[in-house]
Amino acid sequence: MKTERQMLLKRLEELKGGGSDYLVKITAVDYIKYVEVVYILRDMEKNDDTLLEVDLDPSDLWVESAVHIYPAADWYEREMAEMFGIAIRGRKAGRLLLEKWDGKGYPLRKSFAWNAPYERID
Amino acid sequence: MLTRINIGPVHPSTHGVLRLVVDLDGDTIVNVEPHVGFLHRGVEKLAENRMYMQIPVYMEKMDYVAPMSVNEAYVATVEEALGVEVKERAKYIRVILLELQRIASHLLWLGTMCNDIGQMFTAFMWTFRDRDMALRLLEEATGQRMFYVNMRLGGLVRDLPPDFAEQAATFLDYMERRLHEYESLLEKNPLFIERTKNVGTLSRSDAKALGVTGPVLRASGILYDIRKNKPYYAYEKLNFQAKMLGRGDNFSRYRVRMLEMYESIRLVREGLERLPEGDALGMPVRLIIPNAKNRIAAVSREMPRGEALMYMVADPQRPYRLAMRTPAFINLAALNFLAKGQRLADLFAILGSLDLVMADVDR
Repeated sequence: MKTERQMLLKRLEELKGGGSDYLVKITAVDYIKYVEVVYILRDMEKNDDTLLEVDLDPSDLWVESAVHIYPAADWYEREMAEMFGIAIRGRKAGRLLLEKWDGKGYPLRKSFAWNAPYERID
Repeated sequence: MLTRINIGPVHPSTHGVLRLVVDLDGDTIVNVEPHVGFLHRGVEKLAENRMYMQIPVYMEKMDYVAPMSVNEAYVATVEEALGVEVKERAKYIRVILLELQRIASHLLWLGTMCNDIGQMFTAFMWTFRDRDMALRLLEEATGQRMFYVNMRLGGLVRDLPPDFAEQAATFLDYMERRLHEYESLLEKNPLFIERTKNVGTLSRSDAKALGVTGPVLRASGILYDIRKNKPYYAYEKLNFQAKMLGRGDNFSRYRVRMLEMYESIRLVREGLERLPEGDALGMPVRLIIPNAKNRIAAVSREMPRGEALMYMVADPQRPYRLAMRTPAFINLAALNFLAKGQRLADLFAILGSLDLVMADVDR
């Protein structure tokens, strides 16, 4: 199910109200022309999974935080921000989750160069 | 005044490399901040640059306590994305091997948890001896003790050896006896009870909100087991129960896993009994699938630690993107919530009850 970025939190709230109150995963896919953020939600009573997708422009990567709706989103959002460079708005800027990366770029973006010379930044 | 202490990253009780920064008020935990990522290898990125059947080798290193379960979850995702049907006999053999793997994994967890909570080294020695018998059985079936890589698309690398059923029956009878012995060793032991009952309690609603999974979720009174709720392979035909308890403390988490081991024994026995004749071998490794571009597969599997979900965007030769939801990751995220208000000494009892594998958290 696709949605717009402006409608994201509203849709998540609707889905949670509708019974999908278990967050399975938040992840993203870099399709080069756009970056898609995927929310996988579950309704445990009906035993039904919902995939909610938001397309983002690579030059304007941000989504609003869903932590106040799904507390489980915390670590997933941090991981996504770190691996894809997607800014998460509306939550306090925390430490990175996985590692201190002192090279350039975001590892799971397709533009991330594998064999680029290792550069340290201060 | 708060005291801040640092635990790890290298510490015998963290089951890998995990750093915990703990804020204490006297002896009471106010806040725990887990620092993860010391084992981050970027498996998701590596997968984007390997052909489909080169990846299982990487997958198995994710959860080295139950490698076959991760491998199977990955292979099942590829099967779903490419529309490959699993052979009937292979369905049963996979269930048998996965359940043996579950027993081996739970035994390792039980031993290390007992070690964590009060130097109960007896339990550790016992479970490791019994786990070795399970591993020997898996070695018999796959040729390897630890990293099996025995799944192929649509089936397995090789069939079970002819005398496997007898060997398994001997092991299962022995294991059932041993489980009763573990229960009598631990459940009347005041040391064990003190560190588990009413420690690290997680209520039903909090468990759902925090997104915990597997035995941790089921110990908090939510009956959700992928094997029952989204049955795969022979699970819908075999007779077993998903186990649930309501208290949500360390003891419930221990108990759920013990009950699961009994159910696994039941599953392996019945699976061997009803094992259909026929061919169980999978497809050859080299594989290029036309028209697979941007096909999406999301597959959930019940691993010993909980639910693993793999989300794959396919390409003809290799995954375009492989995202993994690993159970230990989200269970560790709940640690702060569980440990607040508990004593510092109980932190490792709680950590032990979550059954973490750090390689699974960091990927």
